[in-house]
Amino acid sequence: MKSKFLFPYWCRYLGWGLVVLHVPLSMLGKTHGMVNIMDAQPTNGGPFSGEHLFFICTTLIMSSGLFLVAFAKEKIEDEQIWHIRLDSLRWAIFINYIILIASLVFIEDIGHILELDFWVPLLFFIIRFRWMIWRLNRSLSSEG
Amino acid sequence: MKNTIRIERAIKDMTQADLAEAVSVSRQTINTIESNKYVPSTVLALKIAKVFNKPLEEIFILEDTD
Repeated sequence: MKSKFLFPYWCRYLGWGLVVLHVPLSMLGKTHGMVNIMDAQPTNGGPFSGEHLFFICTTLIMSSGLFLVAFAKEKIEDEQIWHIRLDSLRWAIFINYIILIASLVFIEDIGHILELDFWVPLLFFIIRFRWMIWRLNRSLSSEG
Repeated sequence: MKNTIRIERAIKDMTQADLAEAVSVSRQTINTIESNKYVPSTVLALKIAKVFNKPLEEIFILEDTD
């Protein structure tokens, strides 16, 4: 099956590497008084200041890492994987909009809403997709 | 929709892995089709029927609930 718009299989590991790399970088920045996406605070010093650039870097590293993990090919990319991928994407959009609408109604802080929109769909998609693949593999091993 | 893939495989002495390789899908996909958990696309169903040299209707059978 031809799979368009997907990264090669090895990109998944690169993606996880970037996600992991984001953690010590953010912690290091935090010790130097920088903010990251988890803080949801406006950066001090205006656009393209050192702090703002650090914010952009850490956010890009995390989000591009999640993006690569989410949209890297499986070892065997067949139609059932496509089906699971689309179904997980649908669920991710559902959950994202439920959270967005709930946040819009119950939370006054608009910064948090943008921040949620940045990583919730990708993260939920990855969790749901991997969980379905794990269930598929488990059913295979239980039947021998 | 039920299917006779398991029986046809036994007749041809094929494993799930052999059939998966013949139709370019994973073994997991063949397993879920056999256990009626996944309904294949028309293209995949035709490919499977071709491997067994049988018409599609002999491999995949519609049920009353379909």
